[in-house]
Amino acid sequence: MRYEVALADRVLRVEIDGAERFLVDDRVVALDAVEIERGRHWSVTLDGGSHEIVALTPDRLLVDGIAVAVTVTDERALAAGRSGGGVRSQRREVRAPMPGLLKAVHVHEGDVVEEGAALATLEAMKMENELRAPLRSRVVSVSASAGAKVEGGALLMILGETD
Amino acid sequence: MIAPFRKVLVANRGEIAVRVIRACRDLGIASVAVYSDIDRGALHVRLADEAYPIGAAPPAESYLNIERVVAVAARSGCDAVHPGYGFLAENADFADAVASADLVFVGPPAAVQRGLGEKTAARRLARDAGVPVAEGSEAISDLAAARSVAERIGYPILLKPAGGGGGKGMRAVRSEPELADAWRGAAGEASSAFGNASLFVERYLEGARHVEMQLLADRDGAVVWLGERDCSIQRRHQKLVEETPGPSVDDALRERLGAAAVAIARAARYENAGTAEFLVDPSGGFVFLEMNTRLQVEHPITEAVTGYDLVALQLRIAAGASLPFAQGGIERRGAAIELRITAEDPYGGFLPAAGRIGPVRMPSGPGIRVDHALEAGAFVPTEYDPLLAKLIVWGADRPAALARARRALRETVITGVPTSLPFHRQLLDDPGFNAGDYDTGYVAERWTGREAPRLGDGAAVAAAYVAAALLRGPRAAARQIANGTASAWTHAAREDALR
Repeated sequence: MRYEVALADRVLRVEIDGAERFLVDDRVVALDAVEIERGRHWSVTLDGGSHEIVALTPDRLLVDGIAVAVTVTDERALAAGRSGGGVRSQRREVRAPMPGLLKAVHVHEGDVVEEGAALATLEAMKMENELRAPLRSRVVSVSASAGAKVEGGALLMILGETD
Repeated sequence: MIAPFRKVLVANRGEIAVRVIRACRDLGIASVAVYSDIDRGALHVRLADEAYPIGAAPPAESYLNIERVVAVAARSGCDAVHPGYGFLAENADFADAVASADLVFVGPPAAVQRGLGEKTAARRLARDAGVPVAEGSEAISDLAAARSVAERIGYPILLKPAGGGGGKGMRAVRSEPELADAWRGAAGEASSAFGNASLFVERYLEGARHVEMQLLADRDGAVVWLGERDCSIQRRHQKLVEETPGPSVDDALRERLGAAAVAIARAARYENAGTAEFLVDPSGGFVFLEMNTRLQVEHPITEAVTGYDLVALQLRIAAGASLPFAQGGIERRGAAIELRITAEDPYGGFLPAAGRIGPVRMPSGPGIRVDHALEAGAFVPTEYDPLLAKLIVWGADRPAALARARRALRETVITGVPTSLPFHRQLLDDPGFNAGDYDTGYVAERWTGREAPRLGDGAAVAAAYVAAALLRGPRAAARQIANGTASAWTHAAREDALR
């Protein structure tokens, strides 16, 4: 299977073939990977270099002590994306990360927000916390209003891709 | 040496409760932990000799419940209570209640706390002791009064709670149009943190460093200073990194800060450990900010360079012992840095997060100390402070300490919740920080909230393999793990596609 891996500032085209070989840009890379803890923690040696990788969150790896964002797409999804079918509207839910008081909602349905823009202010742990847009997005819907007490995990709004 | 007490109740949780329990054990003192319902399994409960429940998770129902904490101390046969920091540590009513139950409060007496805890009274006391304070106001309770003070002293200003410190309820205001919003936010936070919404106005000194001086004072009136800590690396007035010696502090300034801190302590008839906070401007002028009448979070860096155990000294002083050394006998060696590892996501606006801790690897080796109460499986609740661990490094000089800090960060793994570790990693690579060239505006000006893309080629290829292997997964667990690695966008798209 071929994959496209977006890793911090670069994109790598890789493949794990039927013989379990690992290829980068169609060239076989001799690499030795040991799972220290299944699905979570690896030791990888490559050209004599020793690398340690920990899966921190669904989209973040700790690589030799450096946390990097990672996105992986396999060839089926890539093909679907190119053909315009299969992958429907891509959306992201914004949920309250903790219980608290929603002090303000700064956006309206239909707004296009830049990465890092303040979406809402949640008061919790005696501090006011800004919830920010993870990337440039369009506000698809807003489902909570200022003044509401919200539970941890409560849906606040849905973001979608900009056109 | 005879133990200063027989049994001490530790009125706190988390890493500081563990810290105090350790000092007790070192001194041969039995320790009593208290815990809220969600902390039943917490580390401090298991490390103490005795442990008693004091109520539900919200602090007001447990760790801030004076009556229950004092009742447990009395019933369990304690002779003293150590408050740690936060919670009841600067609550004079608590110190009174402890004394009324014929127990010793490990800290300054209630009257001293009252004199210094009301921040505008502390400013007056410092001024009368000949220590400069920033231009400002008395406590005020409405916006119009704040506006007229601000006009008199000129913007930028700081709004600060009159009833308590620690950076909660504090707002910098650069111009008049920002004032109303800032007032509402600060008064609201002050009210929920200290039960007192009144604020005072202080002139905001830009380009200044936050430098504090550690004090010890005994009951006979002996007062010494142990050295400064530069705490200028802050975000929203919350300290993230502290170091000693302060990169901008020379011997002459250190002596002046020490003398000013001692003058304030004498004027306040101070007892036990305390910290005088100052703002130091680039020319070496300084103003007094406030006195923290308790142990500080960052006390370990002073322990690292002096070799003293400040909690043990607190216990001895509280038991009536004289200071075991004079000012001239205090030596400082090398440099120490503390990094506060919090459950906050530096890429998500430092939003605090709750969750269950996964596998953890703490750094170790020469010059490294970690104060924490973390274990795999431990739950990080939203009810309390997001501090997870304090990483304290010592080196023969500042460059050696910085190198050790980088090593320690490379070794540290905390999974399960987002942490401030990426912030610390970037800071330790920042030329300005490495040169010691920073002030309290540093984080706001320099931290971009974006990761530094610094992976080498080998590391990137290794990571790409892991990412691809995760998405494919071992056949049996393929879907679960695939969801685990794909980004949230892809994840959402996949779920949509399956509907």
